[in-house]
Order: sequence, then structure tokens, then C-alpha cells
Amino acid sequence: MKVTVLRLALLAALLAAWELAGRAANPLLAVPPSAVLPALRDLLLLRSYPRLPASLCLTVREIGVAYALAVAAGLGCGFALGMNRLLGRAWGPMIAALYAVPAVVWYPSLMLFFGLDAASKIAFGFLLGFFPITLAVLAGVRQVNPQLVLVARAYGAGVVTVFFRVMLPSMLFTLVGGLRTGLALSVIGVVVGEILGAKDGMGALINHAYGLLRTGDYVALVLVTLAIVVGSDVLASLLERRAKAWTE
Amino acid sequence: MTAAGGALIAIESVAKRYVTSSGPVDALDDISLSVAEGEFCTLIGPSGCGKSTLLGMLGGLVMPDRGRLLVAGAPVTGPDPRRVATVFQDAGLFPWRTALENVEFGLELQGVSAERRRRTASELLGPLGLRGFAERYPRELSGGMKQRVAIGRALAIDTKILLMDEPFGALDEQTRVLMGEWLLDIWRRTRKTVIFVTHSLHEALFLSTRVAVMTARPGRIKSVLELTMEYPRSMESPEMVALRAKLWSEIREESLRAMQST
Amino acid sequence: MLQLATVLAGLAAWELAARSAWVDPLFIPAPSAVARALAAISGPALAGLADTLAKTAAAYVLSVVLGVSAGVAVGSVRLLRDVLSPYVIALYGMPKILVLPWIVLLLGYGTAPAVFYGTLHGLFPILVLVTGAVRDVDRTLVTVARSLGATPWQLYWKVLLPAIVPSVLAGMRLGIVFCLLGVLVVEMFAGVRGMGYVMGSLANGFQAPELFAATALVSATSIAIVLGLDQLNERLSRWRG
Repeated sequence: MKVTVLRLALLAALLAAWELAGRAANPLLAVPPSAVLPALRDLLLLRSYPRLPASLCLTVREIGVAYALAVAAGLGCGFALGMNRLLGRAWGPMIAALYAVPAVVWYPSLMLFFGLDAASKIAFGFLLGFFPITLAVLAGVRQVNPQLVLVARAYGAGVVTVFFRVMLPSMLFTLVGGLRTGLALSVIGVVVGEILGAKDGMGALINHAYGLLRTGDYVALVLVTLAIVVGSDVLASLLERRAKAWTE
Repeated sequence: MTAAGGALIAIESVAKRYVTSSGPVDALDDISLSVAEGEFCTLIGPSGCGKSTLLGMLGGLVMPDRGRLLVAGAPVTGPDPRRVATVFQDAGLFPWRTALENVEFGLELQGVSAERRRRTASELLGPLGLRGFAERYPRELSGGMKQRVAIGRALAIDTKILLMDEPFGALDEQTRVLMGEWLLDIWRRTRKTVIFVTHSLHEALFLSTRVAVMTARPGRIKSVLELTMEYPRSMESPEMVALRAKLWSEIREESLRAMQST
Repeated sequence: MLQLATVLAGLAAWELAARSAWVDPLFIPAPSAVARALAAISGPALAGLADTLAKTAAAYVLSVVLGVSAGVAVGSVRLLRDVLSPYVIALYGMPKILVLPWIVLLLGYGTAPAVFYGTLHGLFPILVLVTGAVRDVDRTLVTVARSLGATPWQLYWKVLLPAIVPSVLAGMRLGIVFCLLGVLVVEMFAGVRGMGYVMGSLANGFQAPELFAATALVSATSIAIVLGLDQLNERLSRWRG
């Protein structure tokens, strides 16, 4: 209770400080929250950027495609590496080593391959989402108690039954966590790609507003983009909770 | 009841209540006990009877709501490492320190020079049965060894009083018996005043000069047994068997009450 | 051995594919062409790398100092932790790129926005790990130290700080990659120097072999730094076994 009040008080204080600082500062550089609200209204009523629905759809579509590819490839790769000891030993550590490289180093190459259109964003979102999913599958496979597999086999379970009845429930927790992280990173990948260079999508609008020093519109566009980010994570956390309830 | 004159430790009408999420819990209610210098006094009783709380108060880690505790005539106001050392059930060794460095810890806090505390700790390793293990880290030691390091850490600051809160509670039965024999030997050589909390009848009868049986929550002193037999004691002597039966009947009653109330 | 063989086989297949024109060498140049390109661009690339690493180092020092001190403060005060943790987690997970245009607007082009943005990336993993570690310090150890008469100062220096060393190191390992990422992003977005800028220009100029060479150079540097930190970690955490 007290904690909630303090949290809200902190938020209010930050907004107040932003308001005061925003009013005092150069309006090209900073806008107070009171000026953001009208900008947000204009944006949502499609007065300032009539292209908003199309851009929003494009960004969401890019995220959807990138994530779907990341899930398919991540699960495929993860299980291939996890089930096959030789492949796992050869490639597992290399995938982990790639974690030591900031992912954005791959972005220029993707831009060179795929150009400035949606494909390069999808590729980058895919790349970022793919690794956590693969690693989660690998970790999950390791978590399966081999004793349980042996017991199931001894009772006459076939490969498919073992997979769905023994392996999947044991690793579900880790797997779902990886899928959630993967989604968050796919979203970030697409957004980063769009801001670093895009012809269309939310990133292009943000860059446009910022380039013209329409700071109020810029903040409003950022808020709308954040809504996608937060919405996707809320969706993922709901699914995660369902999965947890199912295993218990 | 007031403490006997000249007692090293006096516990006078002490009470303690904890506030938990499911309401207040009386841990201790009107406890009085005095312990003379050189005694080995054991507190025994059902789980949750406040034995550890009482020990925590003597160590200055918990403050009583009512009553007072005196050590050497002075009220306890906080941890006093010059007079009192505590050994906990969980050895609580610092995992980043070697066995020797763990034994040194209390002296280090007191600002004793590195050379002197190293000498003191090294001399202790022999009687602790840890010669050759000085440079080992806690993860490389067995449960019994860890507990001996923890006891060594308490012995190193050379206090008159040693408080032991179920120090062997986490060990297996065989190790426990051996550790009891070892502790008896240490106590008889150092002549420290020991207050020992345990669940084990064997430990209570084998080690103590006096056993205080506590009631189920809220903890009170139910009865006090004086044990005058010579050390080392045979657990099979008729006297001991009779004492064991008597002590067990006292504790059994309280344990049953504790089980029913929870 | 196995890993080495896999890598060599992959490189050989790639070389063959490029030479026999199965793939367009304009987009995917052969490894030999990349190696030649590496030699050709080594001058400007190394200068760019040095510039990037200098900014990363500054951001990293700031991240570690701020992350560890704030983590210790937030971790030890329950109220602070309860109030701040949702904000910290939200900021950690937020795509910080959204505020990058504004940062560039305020701080201009060059070193300052890169250091600031790199710090913004490196700070949070360290802060989150350290806060958790301080919160989860074994209470028994604190009780033991208190019973032996430790002063609050001694509790911090002799119990808390040694206890969180593994988490600090884990945070530093994550943090360096995040700092480098932040700096590279700024250089790509609004750079005038540095490796991110070099790579962006190479991509825009369709110089695939040179771009691959630069990418390999940055990746190798990053992996080398992380391996170095792992060595340090091993040395400092011998007690964990």
C-alpha cells in the first residue's frame, strides 16, 4: 500500500519535473507532458500523421513475421542440437560465443543484403529472437531427467509419447521463458532496424518527426511504439502464466 | 525469581512476542534461569519453543520485550564479542574465505594484527582436527568439518561464554556422536561456560552439567535437571537409562502439545 | 577439435560456393576476398575500432561504477527496492533506441551521445544483477558477523561486498557487450567516426568484402574482451569451484 503510493508519487514527481524542465527549455529540444497530450491526440486522430495506421500495421507485421521465423528456426535448431550430441557439441558453444558479440554488428550486413525495406528489419528481428529461443531449448533439453525417459521407455512409450509426455512438460518452463525473451528481442530488433534506416513503419515516422524537430509529435510517436512493445510483453506474460498453470 | 548471586549469566523474567502475518506469537513467556561460570547448560524442548530466541537474546541479536538479561552483571544491549561467542546451526562460513581465514574472522573484526590472528587461528586448527585443511574453501569441507571451523571461529575470540544453537543439528547421526565427544573434550580443556540448544536427548545427557526442559510455545522453563555424573559418561549405565526415560517423558508431553497446536 | 573442423568445413564450403558463383559474390564474397579486404581496410578500420573502444571504455566505467553503487544502495534498503524495482525492470526491457533521436538532439554528434547511450545500455544489467545479489546475501553470514561485533562498515566491506563479487562479475560480462552495442548503435545512427560509422558507410557503399572484414574484426574484439573477463572471473572466484 505504502509502496504503491510511493511508486505513484515518484512517477508524479518525475512528470512534474519533466513539465517544469520542458517549459523552461528550448521547445525544439524538450516538450512538457502538457504539450505531448495534444500532440498525441492529433496523432491518434490522424491529423499529424495520416500514415499512422499503415505504418503501425507494417511494424506489427514485421514483428510477427520475424518472431514466427525465429520461433520456427529456434525450436528446430534447438531440438536438432539438443537431441544430437555430436551436433550439439560442435555448435552449442559457438552459439553461446555469439552472445559475446553485440548483435547490432550484423545489422549493416543485413541492410546490404536486404536493402532498406521490411526484409532487413524482419531479418534483424529474427536474428535477435532466434538465439534466446535456441538457447532455451538447449537448456530445456538438458533439464529433462534421463531417468524419467528411461522409466517411460521401460513402460513401452514410443519416441513421440516420450517427447510429448515426458520431455515437453519437464522443459516447458524454460522453453516458455525463452519464447518470451525471444519475442521481446524480436520487437527490439525490428524497432532498432526501423530507426537505423527505414522507408516506412513507425521508425520512419519517428525519424521524420525528429528530423523536422517536431518534438511533440516525436514523443507521441514514441509512446505509440512503446504501446506495441508493452502490449506484446503483456501478451507473452499472459501466455507464460497459462503455461505455468498447465504444468502445475 | 531472581538470579543466584555470582551467576555469570542471569535471565530474569524475559518475554518475547513476534508479530507475524497471522497475528502475534508469544515465543517466550516469563523465562528465568541463571548459569554459573564453567557450566555446560543445555536447553531442550519441542520445535518452536523459543530456544533459539533465548540464545539470540543472550548473544545480543534479539531484544526482549520484558525482563532483562545480565552477563557478568551487566545488561545485554547488543552483541558483545569480548564476552560472548555464538555458533549457529547453519555453519555460516564465508564461502570466499579459506578455513583458516574463517577462523580468523572475529579477530580481524577486532583489528588484531594479521600476524597474531594467523598464529592464533593456526594453533586452533590442531584441536579442531583441521590440520592440513587450512587452505581449503568451505565447499571443499565435509559438514562436520564446516561446523568445526564455525566452532573454531567462536573459540578464536576466546570469550568466557559460548552459545551453541543446535550446532550439530544438520549432521548425520554418526558424525553427531563423534562431534559431541570432540566438543566435550574441548569444553573440559577450555572450561568455558556453554549454553547449548539441542533436540537430542543423547547430546543433552552426554554433555551437560544441567539440562533445562522448555515447554511448548510460549516457551517457559518446565524443569531443570542437575547431572552430576563423571565424564566421560556411559550412556548404558542404569542411572543414565533412568535419567533418559525421565527426560524423555518430560519432553514427550511438550512435543505432543506442540504438535497439536500447529 | 570438432568445433575447429566444423568451422573449417563451413569456410571451405563458403569459399567454394562463392567461387563457383552459386551465390552472388557481390553480396556474399568468398572468405579469401574478405581476408584481402581486411588487409586493405585495416588502417581506417583500426582507427575506427580504437575510437569505438575508447567510447565503450568510458561508458563501461560509468556503467560499472553507477550500476554497482546504485545496486548496493537499492539492494540494501528494502523500501527503495520495492518502490524502484518496477521502474528499473521497465527501463531495462525498454527499447532504448526510441530515445536515441532525442539524445542526439540534445548531445549532438560525436563522443558524448555515444558514451551516454552506451552507459544507458550497460548500466541496467549490472544494476539488476547487483540489486538481486545484495537482496539475496545469505542472512546467516550477516548474523554471524553481527554476533562477532561487526560494525555497519565492516558488514559492507567484509560480508556484503565479497558476497556479491560473482554477481558483479556476471554483470560486468553482460555490461561490456551492452556498452559496445550502445556505442555502435549511436555511431551507426549519427556517427562521424568509429566502427559503427565505418560499417554503416561500407554497407551503404555496397562494399561487401570490406563490410564482412569489419564485422569480423568487431566480433573478434568483442569475443576477446569477454574471454578476458571470464579469465578474471575465474581468478577471482576460485572459492566457488
